[in-house]
Amino acid sequence: MSVLLQAIDIHKLFGKQHVLKGVNLDIEEGRTVVIIGPSGSGKSTLLRCLNLLVKPDRGKIIFNGIDITNSKVNIHTVRQKIGFVFQQFNLFTHLTALENVMLGLVKVKNLSKQEALKIAKESLLSVGITEDLWVKYPAQLSGGQQQRVAIARAIAMEPRLLLLDEPTSALDPELTVEVLNVLEKLSRNRMTMVIVTHELGFAMRVADEVVFMEDGRVIEAGSPEKVLLKPEKDRTRAFVSKLMELYRMERIK
Amino acid sequence: MIDSIAYIFTRYCQDLIRAFMLTLQLSLLSFILGFSGGLTLSIVRTLAPKPLEVILRLFVEIVRGTPMTVQLFFVYYALPVIGPKLDPFIASLIALSINSAVYQSEYLRSAMNSIPRTQWEAALSLGFAELSSMFYVVLPQSLRIAIPTLTNELIYIIKFSSIAYFVTLPELIYVAKWIGSKTFAFIEVYIIVAIFYVVVAFIIGEIMDRINRRLSIPGLTVERT
Repeated sequence: MSVLLQAIDIHKLFGKQHVLKGVNLDIEEGRTVVIIGPSGSGKSTLLRCLNLLVKPDRGKIIFNGIDITNSKVNIHTVRQKIGFVFQQFNLFTHLTALENVMLGLVKVKNLSKQEALKIAKESLLSVGITEDLWVKYPAQLSGGQQQRVAIARAIAMEPRLLLLDEPTSALDPELTVEVLNVLEKLSRNRMTMVIVTHELGFAMRVADEVVFMEDGRVIEAGSPEKVLLKPEKDRTRAFVSKLMELYRMERIK
Repeated sequence: MIDSIAYIFTRYCQDLIRAFMLTLQLSLLSFILGFSGGLTLSIVRTLAPKPLEVILRLFVEIVRGTPMTVQLFFVYYALPVIGPKLDPFIASLIALSINSAVYQSEYLRSAMNSIPRTQWEAALSLGFAELSSMFYVVLPQSLRIAIPTLTNELIYIIKFSSIAYFVTLPELIYVAKWIGSKTFAFIEVYIIVAIFYVVVAFIIGEIMDRINRRLSIPGLTVERT
């Protein structure tokens, strides 16, 4: 399988704070990569570096064979091919669910209204957003619905890669399931995804690879069985067992 | 008192109406030009690189920091020294528009700054460039936020257009003073003029309120019943 995205020695400083300290990451086509790690470990920053929402201070990002950190590359064209799903959904508040999905298709991809409408409807249906919700504004939707619309908005653009930054962290547990199911379906359809999440059960079931990050570095990476069940490093073991504890308590509730 | 007001009004009805129309023309045009200028200024200042931003900021501070009358005198009396002599209406229009543009740019800019950074990020992630993110995502939201302050500005400029009096434009205040000095009924004529201003302000307030409600985002804006 070919490598779709490669992050090489990524460094990022916010002021004096060294958030990323040389991260290397290979994302193979059609795989689902889950990034875990304590808060403040640089997971979200790394994800934002991958589509250059945050510009890395050092290092390269090779996407589809092109170094997109090169200033000659038109980053806007590259971003069309990389979908992003945010923790807080970030739907456009002044547009309906349907218009949210259509905007990029019409204004970025220059599709006709009819084509965009067709794609948007298919895309919304694929994440379980039914017709009655299409004319609703984001503020009229539940968190789970908003996040599914946000996923529909991203996949409608037909990205080669989908980046998801803690897509379920802002949701109630019962709404988390509906979003995770959508992601599981995407993963089975071989959408290339990088997901930052704390949902270990989901990672175990869906991920092809789990990456554990701490303090701006990748500590351990490998299959979910290896990283989550038989971690080699002490720090990974400590983090995973802490999360497992929480996960168990969640289930008892 | 009522009698004399009625007398003055009927006697000078035509002059007052003409002056009123002139005031309305001048202020509405100034507002529209000011809005175009203010919009451009706020967009450029939000997206421009630092050096350009600093220059524009200097311009804003100068216009905002000098009295309106000084600006008008500058356009009307000082500009002809290097350029053409402008007629009172054009001179007033230029001065009012520039002044309003600067104020409106600040209202719009604060509205733009109130849109969360995350809305920008969402637009950029879809492949929008900065300028298109501004047009399709940030601007539609910030214009809604700016409507009440822009309403203020419009009403304000209608009243402030009376400074055109200083360059002999026969707008409402000018004509009121002229009628006053002819009839010595200053109080009566100023009451009439005040009523004109209040009625216009009220109508504009009502229209803008309706626009505001029509554009409110369901579920997001608190709806009044």
